[in-house]
This record gives sequence, structure tokens and C-alpha cells, in this order.
Amino acid sequence: MTPVLVMLLKTLLIFGGVITLAAGMTLAERKVSAWIQWRIGPNRVGPWGTLQPLADGVKFVFKEELIPDGANPLLFRLAPMLAAGPAMMAIAVIPFAGEITLLGQPTTLSIADFPLSALYVVAVSGLGVYGVILGGWSSNSKYSLLGGLRASAQMVSYELALILALLSVVVMSGSLDLRKIVEAQAGGLLQWNLWRQPLAFLLFLLATFAETNRHPFDFAECEPELVGGFHTEYSSMKFALFFIGEYVAMIVMASMTATLFLGGPEVPYWPAAPWFVQLATFLLKTGFFLFLFLWVRWTLPRFRFDQLMGLGWKVMLPLALLNVFVTGLVISLF
Amino acid sequence: MAETLFYVLGALCVVFAIGVVRARMPLFSVLNLLGTFFCLAGIYLLAGFPFLAATQLLVYAGAIMVLFLFVIMLLNLGDAAELEKHAGLSLSGRRLFVACSSAALLGLVGLGAAEMSTAFDARTLPAEHALDDLEHLAALLFSRYMLPFEAASLLLLATMVAVIVLAKRQREQARDTSAASAPAESQRKENGVLR
Repeated sequence: MTPVLVMLLKTLLIFGGVITLAAGMTLAERKVSAWIQWRIGPNRVGPWGTLQPLADGVKFVFKEELIPDGANPLLFRLAPMLAAGPAMMAIAVIPFAGEITLLGQPTTLSIADFPLSALYVVAVSGLGVYGVILGGWSSNSKYSLLGGLRASAQMVSYELALILALLSVVVMSGSLDLRKIVEAQAGGLLQWNLWRQPLAFLLFLLATFAETNRHPFDFAECEPELVGGFHTEYSSMKFALFFIGEYVAMIVMASMTATLFLGGPEVPYWPAAPWFVQLATFLLKTGFFLFLFLWVRWTLPRFRFDQLMGLGWKVMLPLALLNVFVTGLVISLF
Repeated sequence: MAETLFYVLGALCVVFAIGVVRARMPLFSVLNLLGTFFCLAGIYLLAGFPFLAATQLLVYAGAIMVLFLFVIMLLNLGDAAELEKHAGLSLSGRRLFVACSSAALLGLVGLGAAEMSTAFDARTLPAEHALDDLEHLAALLFSRYMLPFEAASLLLLATMVAVIVLAKRQREQARDTSAASAPAESQRKENGVLR
């Protein structure tokens, strides 16, 4: 019975934590943008506006829910769930910290540990594109349709570079298990994959921006051209669900970058660190990449769509392939 | 428990498969196909092959996505004259090239199939679940089953090219006939097709 309870408790803790973090990200987005643009940002609800996400949530719940005339009701309702679901599923294997003791049972701070966890993350998070394209198609609006089409083309192109960058790390660590990839980076700052696979790191980072539809690659939304993109016709909690999905996907991708290239929960030069130090280290590394998402969004202008596709197929894919090839060659030679 | 799940998944798989051929809109066919692939992935998991299940999701969900794109984007194909400019070879040269490469592909597939029929014997298969050992799987795929593996990938590529060419030809014919009869009608048709 206790293992089931431990599992439930872990799921609740991690899931609750990530959802809270996603809510916090909505506030952080506004605060950071205000900071970058020399404004104050939300400061009315709670101290320093910290309760703003709660107020937003209540507002979303009370908004009227509209389904446009001529929209496909089934797919229109399904799309937000399909957008948010896969991102949340991917949280399951992220290694937040090493060994902990819950209810007297030794366990690890991730919902599931299994030998193919890296593959699981890319397989599951790649499904998020269905929510976007179905949302765009079922809305019966030209802007939504174009947004959905763009998003799917973009995500399909960048997923290749993402997976190939991941592959070079996997080849180096010799395992698809995120825990083993973390273990392989133990022992100090210079053991991080960031130094051993700098090209893969850059490609992975760029691809995560495209995968999560963030600036400078947010062509699925692209206000000046497409009104709101795929979610133009959405209102109320359905609209909010798309955003929760986007923020959770950002958290997943940031923590994947931290895990694959920065040693995840490993504390440099302190191998026997207690779990809360490991968790704090992990959150610090993930937090940096989350901040980077915001920083880039409010600093760089948007690409053009053909530039984006050109970059994906003509630059990143060949580079990623070359990187995998060179990695394999070096490993087999030495 | 596992058996019940298998029957549920199997039944769902069949239902989705029927949905693929019965759906009126191509988009619903694609969604049903996606359902079939999910059920198949579940069956792989039940059989104890998580790697196959994950690959099923990764590859087929990704491939389906491309299919999805084709469904909608084929309705807006580029200009044939534009493609002609980039062809590089003359018409007879292209025909010769296609004939030679088709013959080569056919030979490769035949060789692969012959290899497969002699090499594949259930009794010589490695112990249970060894298929999930990635190193083992990779070694098998790139040594013993190398030829069938490459032949299958080439065949898939050739099929994709053929489908694009066929769809393009149909589309051009439709455009020619409708443009000759009534330009306004063809315009309306194009709008209607998109939705």
C-alpha cells in the first residue's frame, strides 16, 4: 500500500509544483517585460502583484465561453486539452532531485524512472502540436487556420534538430535514461555536457524556442499578421488552457536543457548533497533557462516565417546531423 | 488485467481503423489513424516493448503530422513551370534516370526480401525482451537486417515522391478543366476546398 501512497504523493507534489510554477511564469512574464521596458508591471493584487495569477484565473473562469458559428464543436473543445495534456505528461520523468525519503520509503524525486525517459519526453511533448493545429482548423477562421498550419510546419521542422541534438548527448552518455545522463555529468563544472557538446547545446536551445512557439519564433500567434493565431477564436478557460500548456512546455524544455547539458540536479563538487540542495540546484538551472525565454522575448524582434523554415532545414538540421556524426566518430575512435 | 487491456485496445484499434476509411473529411481520417497508432503503441507496451511503443509515438505521430500537412497543403500546390525551371535534366534524361533508379530499387527490394526470408527465423531470435536492449537492436538492424532495412526506407521515400506526383497531376487536370469552363467557378471551388 505504501508504494502506491508514495507514488500518489510524489505525483501530487511534482504536478502541483509545476502548475504553480506555470502560474508564476505568467506573472514573471509580465514583471520581466515591465522591468525590461522600464515600467512597473502588475502591482495591484497582493504584495508586488504576486496574487495576479489567481485574479487572472478567477477572471478566466467567469468569462463567457464562445464557440464560433461553423466551428467543429468536438474538435474545438478537444484542442485545448490536446495542447496542455502532452506537456503535462512529459513532466513525469524529469529528475528534480536524487534520493529522498517519503513516508519512510527511499525513493527518487521524479514521478517515474525508466530506461527510456529521454525518448519518452520527446515522444510525448511532440504531440502538443495536435492541439495547436486542431485548434486552428476547428475554429473556422482563416487566421486560426494559418496559425495552426504555421505552428505544425514549424514544430515538425524543429523537432528533428531537437531530437538530433539530444541524440548526440545520448551517444556520449550511452543511455536514454535521464538519470544516467545526469550521473555521467557528475563531478564538477567541466563534466557538464555544455562543454563537451557546445554545438548540440546551442541547437537544442534554439529548437526549444521553436518547439514551444516562443519569441522570436512565435509564428503560430504572430499578432500583427494573424490577430491571435490559432487561439484567435478561443475565450475563457479554453484560452487559458492553451497558455497553461505553453508555460508547462516551457518548463519541461527548460528542465530538459538543464538536465541534458547542465547536469540537472547534480551539485558541482558536492556529490553527496542532500535532496533539497539538489532540488534548489535544479530549480536554479531551470530558472535560468526560463528567464532566458522571457529575456529573449522582450529583446529580439520576430523572424520572418521563410527565414524560420530556412534556418530549421538548411542550417540547423545539417549541423545537428554533422554533430551526431562527429560525436559518433570521436567515440568510436577513442 | 493485461489480457482485458489487450482486448480493449485491440477493439479500439479496429474501430479507429474503420473510422479511417469511413471518414468523409480527410482530417478525420488522419485523426482516426492517430487513434489506431496510439492503440498499437499501447499493445506494444503490454507486450513488454517500451522502446517500440515510444518509437511508434515519435515516428508515426511525427509522420502523421507531415501527412496532416500534406492533406491541407496539397490543396495549394506550387506552379509546375516553377518546378520545371529547377529540373536540371532534359525530359528524356529524367526518364532514363527514373527507369534506372526504379530498376535499382526493385533489385534492392528483391534482395532485401530474399535476405529477410532466409535470415528471419523465430527460433534464432534472441531471448525474450532482448529486442528492447537498444545496443542489441541497433546491432541487429545495422548488420544482419541492414539490406531489408535500407530497402524499406528507400521504398517509403519512393512511395512518398510518387504520391506527391500523382496528387499534383490530378490537381492540375482539375484546374485545367475548370479554368476552361468557368474561371469564377474554379475560384469558388478553391475557396470551398480549403474549408
